[in-house]
Amino acid sequence: MPRILLVEDNEMNRDMLSRRLQRRGYDVIIAVDGQTGVSMAQSEAPDLVLMDMSLPVIDGWEATRTLKAGAETKHIPVIALTAHAMSTDRDKALEAGCDDYDTKPIEFSRLIEKMEALLDGSDNASQAEKGS
Amino acid sequence: MSDLPESGQRIASDLPESIEEAVQHMLPRDLLHDLRTPLGHILGYSELLIEQMRAEGHEEFIPYLEKIRTAGHQLLELMKDNFQSR
Repeated sequence: MPRILLVEDNEMNRDMLSRRLQRRGYDVIIAVDGQTGVSMAQSEAPDLVLMDMSLPVIDGWEATRTLKAGAETKHIPVIALTAHAMSTDRDKALEAGCDDYDTKPIEFSRLIEKMEALLDGSDNASQAEKGS
Repeated sequence: MSDLPESGQRIASDLPESIEEAVQHMLPRDLLHDLRTPLGHILGYSELLIEQMRAEGHEEFIPYLEKIRTAGHQLLELMKDNFQSR
């Protein structure tokens, strides 16, 4: 069961998304700000991070940069989630190191496709690393 | 516009070219962000409840929940069509 770290400060978004992910069989752990998200990614080693970008303490861009700079966390795929729909927001998220990007309101089936693509890629990368 | 004096041309060039552009000028980016958040709650919870009702065999509630979801999607499409560039 893949473990997903959901970093989201909006209580309703957290509740809704975590319930739907759990219904699909994912193990969901939650952080409510960017700093806690970074700490939990380091301690819990999730298979994937869903990162809201507008977060308290440190925002999603800074949290992603920190994760991608860390030896133990840089391999964890990060999907940026934002309610801003401009192409510059997408570019900004990818520049910060996010592996993919999706806009709110979340289209759940599209998000699942993106998550599965990254989880598959991440499995293959891990196996290749072990084989080398 | 070329018939206007230079100062008039400068003012005219700053004016919006369409009603849509004028509306976009009136809607701050943060407001659009703030509209997408509760809309996401309407869509997300209606979809969550549809999944849950279906799983629990309460089919009678599903048409009503689908109406909420459809209305939410219509509102989202309106926002995308009119304010996508912001």
